[in-house]
Amino acid sequence: MPRYHNINGENVQFTAAEETARDNEETAWTNAAPARALADLRSRRNRLLAETDFWGTSDMTMSDDMTTYRQALRDFPNGKDTVDKCEKATWPTKP
Amino acid sequence: MGLISDGTTIFDAGAMASGFGSSMVFIKKLTASSSGTLTFVNGSSGVVLDSTYKEYMFVFQDLHPASNGVELEFQGTIADPSSSYNQTITSTLFKAGHGEDGSGDSFNYEADADQQQGDGFQDIARYVGNGNDESVCGKLSLYDPSSTAHVKHFMANTQMYHASDEAENCFTAGYFNTTAGLTRFQFKFSSGNIDAGTITLYGIK
Repeated sequence: MPRYHNINGENVQFTAAEETARDNEETAWTNAAPARALADLRSRRNRLLAETDFWGTSDMTMSDDMTTYRQALRDFPNGKDTVDKCEKATWPTKP
Repeated sequence: MGLISDGTTIFDAGAMASGFGSSMVFIKKLTASSSGTLTFVNGSSGVVLDSTYKEYMFVFQDLHPASNGVELEFQGTIADPSSSYNQTITSTLFKAGHGEDGSGDSFNYEADADQQQGDGFQDIARYVGNGNDESVCGKLSLYDPSSTAHVKHFMANTQMYHASDEAENCFTAGYFNTTAGLTRFQFKFSSGNIDAGTITLYGIK
């Protein structure tokens, strides 16, 4: 199906070169989906780690449960190589 | 009886006096309908995007993508119709989010969305959902796009329904690093068409 620009309110069909360029853009975007999902997951993981960073300060004693939780967060991205795996992953429970 | 301030009549007989309330001037509204792009070009169909105004504002109303989790992005270019939308941009972007289920609360700098002298389309909203009730709204201000002395600054603030069911407030700013006048601006999603929604262009006096 041809694509159209809406230019100042008038539909103008993409040229053949624009169609090819857009096809390439969309393919690249689709191919990068797992990387985007993993980046989103890492970002959330980092926030969760940061929430409990204070347990690592010298005047606090980190419980075994907290140590396990934080290690699970660090390991969480491992094996998440598809969008589905990233989006349906079950996050570790904070003690 | 009129409304008078310091001797100046502002309202009288139900009407605003001349010179008041006309600083934001409607220029053009484009309505998407499975559109590949929404493009504003100076000089035709009533579109003004030149030195007439020192500031222009684009208002996004419920832009709905055909594809899920896409970025709303834009670029500009010069008047030459053969020129591409690939001006040099340096930009910055951060966002705040909060999920419907209480998760996803975040405040992030998005290092993969900024540009360092890049020539790609600039993200102004990220991971927009395409569920039936999902969309993105917001504004983009563009300053003195016809200046031949300075770079062209822009600032955008958008609110979107994130593909992961979150409210996300995205802040983007930057400049087109050129002293050439820019008179054409194009908006699209990173993948798929713009199914519906409007972009309205205003000139600010």
